[in-house]
Amino acid sequence: MAMSKEELKAAILKKAQTAAKPQLYVKDFYECDPDSKPRDVKNAANDLVKEGKMDFWSSGSTTMYAAKGRAKDEEHRG
Amino acid sequence: MPKHDTPLLDELEKGPWPSFVTDIKRQAATKPECWDILGQLELSYRDKITHWKHGGIVGVFGYGGGIVGRYSDVPTKFPGVAHFHTVRLNQPSGMYYSTAKLRAICDLWQKYGSGMTNMHGSTGDLVLLGTTTPNLEPLFYELTHNLNQDLGGSGSNLRTPSCCLGKSRCEWACIDTQAVCYAMTMKYQDEIHRPAFPYKFKFKFSGCPNDCVASIARSDLSVIGTWRDNIRIDQAAVKKYLSGEYKSNAGAHSGRDWGKFDIKKEVVNLCPTKCMHMEGDTLKIDDAECTRCMHCINVMPRALRPGAEQGATILVGAKAPILDGAQFATMIIPFMKVDAENEFEDLVNLIEGIWDWWMENGKNRERVGESIQRVGLPTFLKVLNVEPIPQHIREPRSNPYVFWESEEVEGGWDRDVREFRKRHAQ
Repeated sequence: MAMSKEELKAAILKKAQTAAKPQLYVKDFYECDPDSKPRDVKNAANDLVKEGKMDFWSSGSTTMYAAKGRAKDEEHRG
Repeated sequence: MPKHDTPLLDELEKGPWPSFVTDIKRQAATKPECWDILGQLELSYRDKITHWKHGGIVGVFGYGGGIVGRYSDVPTKFPGVAHFHTVRLNQPSGMYYSTAKLRAICDLWQKYGSGMTNMHGSTGDLVLLGTTTPNLEPLFYELTHNLNQDLGGSGSNLRTPSCCLGKSRCEWACIDTQAVCYAMTMKYQDEIHRPAFPYKFKFKFSGCPNDCVASIARSDLSVIGTWRDNIRIDQAAVKKYLSGEYKSNAGAHSGRDWGKFDIKKEVVNLCPTKCMHMEGDTLKIDDAECTRCMHCINVMPRALRPGAEQGATILVGAKAPILDGAQFATMIIPFMKVDAENEFEDLVNLIEGIWDWWMENGKNRERVGESIQRVGLPTFLKVLNVEPIPQHIREPRSNPYVFWESEEVEGGWDRDVREFRKRHAQ
């Protein structure tokens, strides 16, 4: 059975905060709940962005998600 | 007064053609940061490497697209372009603007950005080049609240849908491209603004097979207007082309004397499927063999018109050469009615079927055309419940494209692939 939206958001946030890589593709969150549909996972990740707990990181051609504070702008890279 | 010496760029002002260097210098008179664009570009020409970095968390609240972060890697030398973000605006269908709207956008960009624009980007957006992070939210507020203007797509989103002029100006349009483009833009706002996909996804709508937005080469989902009955022929007008009363190609090539119009040489013999011939001064077309190349219609627009039973061909999977090579779209649905009356229901069902499969099965940074190549067209067709047809195959007469599954044949069969490979090395 698929997780509730709040459970899914908690699982996504935990993965975003603890994954070795600071930025993750939306597909990387599918494994948080294999029973949830991809669209539900995307919606939950977007809710976390709206709540200020996650950020979008985009190269311009690809977009990834990161827990607040983990991703950096190119401005701050060498 | 130039802020940097730019001898290499100055060379680009010497030809007879318009120069972007001259344009940027002119813009620098009111926007001094534009001198730093020229300075940095001169440095890039000398170093033979870009000095731009792109990407990051920059954007406007709630949107996962529309802004592309861009930074100089030599900001102390060129502080005017330390931040130089790109803003993509969703262009109107067919790129029709009022001058008042264009002035308002340019005034706003003069206020919050460099004043430089790219009309239009290859996806179709109106591209505003160069602003700073603090200016993004105020710019977005004014765009949306005062100009009723939204951002376009970027990143792993549905990119801004685009279309040709369609029925607004073109007699060949077989579908109302502007209506379907607008409807899909409004229906899929969430997909445009919030990243949902493994990679970018583009829609493009062309009214006829001339495909003026090059959807067949540039979009993941290409909708091209077509007809399924016969090309409409006005034989009296054919005779007027033959007599020279009507100019071929609507007079487009009349600047030079090409000699008398020769229908055999210029139309009949150039038909790719050889489906036309002349009987005296009457033009005959075997429409079952027509591939909708549009050549005859383009040459004799007053004599030939697309058929009356109109709809669209749907193709999937074009892309530019990022990972593999460039790839044209593959025809999936030869003919589909594209009607606003049922809110484009058939098209919507197809789009959502493709997305549901691709979101689950596409790899990160894999365009849908690459996913199809990886799994094979038969698998993709099965996902969409589309029956394979000869038109899916380049050479249907020599390609045994019909495959049977064991459960589709009475009695079925068992097959041990390893045993088979022992006898038939791959």
